[in-house]
Amino acid sequence: MKQYAILLDSRFCTGCNTCFYKCVQENRLHDVAANGNTRTVVQINDEGLYHQRCMHCLEPTCVANCPKKALTKSDYGPVLWDSNVCIRCGTCVLRCPFHVPMLDQDHNEIVKCSMCAHRNFDTNPDAKPACVEVCPTSAMEFGEREAIIAKAKKMASDNKLNIYGLEENGGTSMIILSKPDPIALGYPKVAKTNVGYSPIAIGGTAVGLTAAAVAAFAGLKKYSERRNNIEKEQ
Amino acid sequence: MDTSKGISRRRLLKLTGMTGALMALDTPLRNFNVAYAFGEHPQEKAPYLVKKKIPQVCARACECDCHYDVVVGVDKVTGLERALTLEGRPDDPVSRGKYCIKALGFVDGMYNPDRLLVTLKRTNPQRGLDSDPGWIKVKSEDAVKEIIEKMKKYKPEEMLFASPGDPYSNRLCQSLGVTRSDQRTECFGTHYYLNSLMVTNPPNKYYSSTYTMTHSIWGYDYNETKYMLWFGFDSFSKTAKAGILNHIAEGKRKGTKIVFFNPLRTPITDTMADEYYPIKPGTDLAVALAMVKTIVDGKLYQTDFLNKYSDAGALIDNETKLHVIDEKGTWLVWSTAENKAVPIKGCNNMAFSGGPYTFDLNGKKVTAKPVLQLLQENIEKCTPAWAEQVSEVPAKDIERIAQEFAKFAPNVCIPNLKRDPAGPNYANSWRLMQTINILHTLTGSFDREGGVLFLHGVKIPWLDEFAPIPKPYPEQPANPIDYRNEFPVTNNIYRKKDFCAPGHYGMVGHGLYHRDQVKMVFFKGPHRGLHALIQPQMTEAALLKMDLVVDWNLYPDDGAYWCDYVLPAPHQFEEAKLDIRQYYPKWACLVGGNPVQKSPGDVIGWGKIASMIGFALAPEYWTTDGSKDASKIIKDLSKDMAVAAVGAGTDDKDFMDNKNAFWIDKKPYENYKTIQEIGYGRPDGRIRMYVDEFIEVGFNGLPEPAMRWSSPEGEYQFSLLVTRAGWHMHADPNFIDNPVLNVLSAKNYTDCVWISPAAGKKLGLSNGDEVVIETNPKLMTELPRPVKSKVYMTTRISRDDCVLLFHGIGHRSKMLKHGVWGYRDGDLIPQKDPKICKQHDPTGMGWVEDVYVRIKKA
Repeated sequence: MKQYAILLDSRFCTGCNTCFYKCVQENRLHDVAANGNTRTVVQINDEGLYHQRCMHCLEPTCVANCPKKALTKSDYGPVLWDSNVCIRCGTCVLRCPFHVPMLDQDHNEIVKCSMCAHRNFDTNPDAKPACVEVCPTSAMEFGEREAIIAKAKKMASDNKLNIYGLEENGGTSMIILSKPDPIALGYPKVAKTNVGYSPIAIGGTAVGLTAAAVAAFAGLKKYSERRNNIEKEQ
Repeated sequence: MDTSKGISRRRLLKLTGMTGALMALDTPLRNFNVAYAFGEHPQEKAPYLVKKKIPQVCARACECDCHYDVVVGVDKVTGLERALTLEGRPDDPVSRGKYCIKALGFVDGMYNPDRLLVTLKRTNPQRGLDSDPGWIKVKSEDAVKEIIEKMKKYKPEEMLFASPGDPYSNRLCQSLGVTRSDQRTECFGTHYYLNSLMVTNPPNKYYSSTYTMTHSIWGYDYNETKYMLWFGFDSFSKTAKAGILNHIAEGKRKGTKIVFFNPLRTPITDTMADEYYPIKPGTDLAVALAMVKTIVDGKLYQTDFLNKYSDAGALIDNETKLHVIDEKGTWLVWSTAENKAVPIKGCNNMAFSGGPYTFDLNGKKVTAKPVLQLLQENIEKCTPAWAEQVSEVPAKDIERIAQEFAKFAPNVCIPNLKRDPAGPNYANSWRLMQTINILHTLTGSFDREGGVLFLHGVKIPWLDEFAPIPKPYPEQPANPIDYRNEFPVTNNIYRKKDFCAPGHYGMVGHGLYHRDQVKMVFFKGPHRGLHALIQPQMTEAALLKMDLVVDWNLYPDDGAYWCDYVLPAPHQFEEAKLDIRQYYPKWACLVGGNPVQKSPGDVIGWGKIASMIGFALAPEYWTTDGSKDASKIIKDLSKDMAVAAVGAGTDDKDFMDNKNAFWIDKKPYENYKTIQEIGYGRPDGRIRMYVDEFIEVGFNGLPEPAMRWSSPEGEYQFSLLVTRAGWHMHADPNFIDNPVLNVLSAKNYTDCVWISPAAGKKLGLSNGDEVVIETNPKLMTELPRPVKSKVYMTTRISRDDCVLLFHGIGHRSKMLKHGVWGYRDGDLIPQKDPKICKQHDPTGMGWVEDVYVRIKKA
């Protein structure tokens, strides 16, 4: 299955927030949006524009920390939220390094971008997330993650732009290009790590592997000692 | 083996080993939720079911008039079938598949529970916000009949229609002989009139077209232009103007250079500006004149264009100060080859400079100079160094930019649409607009690809064109309440050439308040009411003494509290539409829209209201044969005729049902053809740089330096800047009474007034402090109404001597559940005394930002 990503070229964003409202209409989110809980919103700051939205991390912290696996990383990119499973503990809200998920208390919902997963990109080749479709200046592009990354790197190199989202939190599927430093625009400062590995995944790969190794070693050692003792007794 | 001690070691070891192995196995699969197959996850389910898509045209949010489909479907949560969202139409040359946040807001606006669906009639005669009107509901048609009965007792000069110049309003006001005045003066009155006086020469066969604002030149070839100057064009409102942004973005990707002059730094500035100058407000004219001087002195203009398509060589009589014309009315020029005055047509060696030239004309001795020579003389002192003193834009940059602009000619343009400084923002805006048109003329960028595109090849006829009037309309009032008669330059256009011409909203409040002439005001909302007026408090006071006040509106906004009747209007998506592509007229094109739903409740259309009133009070103008036969009331055939004329369909129904509501003729744009068809002196039409009409009222026919009307004084140091959020359209409750959009406004502080951090610090302010803003009482001598608001300090206000207010907010109607927030910018801007206005501006506009205020902590 293809992995998808979004590329945002901030040089063409005018802060119109048409993406914000289109998302609300597309996903029927009027009630939560009226409470200030949005899947995507553009904040017009002094230094530039900050798109507050899910980064669809490769190794999502929210997923790793969700006690009920209500958040999952799909094979094709988006991080999805299952309202049937979620216990609304708010762990994802606290843990996300990008401060993205919002918990709407009135409607008991986690509000977070799903990359319009319902548009079924594999079966509808022209489909793209609603925000990408609607952007008046085509500041956003959607496609296979590999191609998006390659394009982002080339554009960054050709135009002396900063890239955000490539390495933050181990890599994401929301790649942002900007002329100014993204942090100055309002994007959170998130540690960059090697793509595909995130050291803050508590209970995740690192601990799991270590625990497995320890348990396996202890088990084998004990087995070996015991075997020796049995042979000795015999 | 000792099994008596519980779990054996062997088992323990096995368990431990298995645990470890399982943990290792779990790690790469930890995200895998086996609960759903692909496509079955709740977020992979479509949130709604599409039932149909209905073409529409966005005719009320701005004049881009983007063409799109309204997506109608079933909302899975409510189970209701309704309009849900929009889908773009890539074939539309304006929007190219895009639309804006306001268009999306319109979708939800159709279902706003605050929408007016019945006619309200007042029973408590006490008007104003503090009184309960005692509304009762009446049938809309009955209400119109009651209104008609009341109108029978008024003389024409006692009635005012506050309405744009749409076909039915025009027919109605002309047939009754009543004044029509509207808020478009505050948006683009200046652009409209200067374009009419210099370029479009109304009436002409293309621009006299219904549905979009006539004689406004709005087509800029952003995609192909190489160099643009933006004098305040990048207001906040432009941040969401999808119909032009998609073109501007393409141009930028191709390398268009854009130079911005604006004391406000918007996100568009950040993204699109190659150069940015925080110009002193109201001084753009100085920069523009210095650029003209640089180009003219350096002979950097497009000679061929000036020869063929302008009055650059036309002779101006030293005595009369008017164009010299022969017996056929043709301009005369001085032929350098023949050494005599000859008709302009066919002369390809006309003098642009020199003189005075003396010659005999019809037995009279005439001494004259060419227009370009006079222009050069007029702006002799307008050097870049002088402009720097005035505007604080560096002289060397002004000069360089002018040279670059000329170098890239003719693929250059200076876009201006509305509420930029060339709009009616300052007392000198009309001169700026004239100068901008001169820059377009000098660079030959009018009517060509890569420059300014002219509407051509298509029109939508007015009612008069297929339902001719049986006899001349009655005269308009000699002393209209908006003082039009005191401004003959614009009044002549309104009275004789284009009744659609915007009316003087910047003075109508003054007239209503100071004169006891008018007894009835009829507002055709939703933008024409109190919110559209500067100094609305003056009109509120005036309305207290009116005999009859009526509003036709989608919402019961502030104005309702002064009305006797409020009639419910249909939502724009409940109307059929036909539209041209004035914002990108590269090709002749028609787009159409069908009603998405039948209007709910007792909503009544404007055509019906106008026909009822017109037929009751002036029946001969409302029937096909001039009779009083109700069965012969004129029907609107404009759409049928427009469609058939270009072969877009047999009639409108065929166009909508069988032609997908779209027609385009992609014939290549013929540069400079339309100028000849519509311009001055047509069929060999030209641009007029020199405007005779200005001379006739005591002004110069060419631009000259002029300052603002107002100056900073004492504490009143802050120049007022006005914009609106990209997601708002005027004061339209479709957007302001929208709780989702309100969140956006709060997040982005557009519910605050903005000043620079340095200015705020000097005033001892912190972000979020309440402040009071007051206009200099020397500028607003009556009925001041200070504005209270929270303050937001931002470097986006690039100057310390400016304050920015957002327009359209500050509703006070208790009938708008989510609309009552913010402040009202208009309260700070004085209605203009015509005596003062005439001294500075022959067009009689409102000078909306020509105000100085003070700011104090509340």
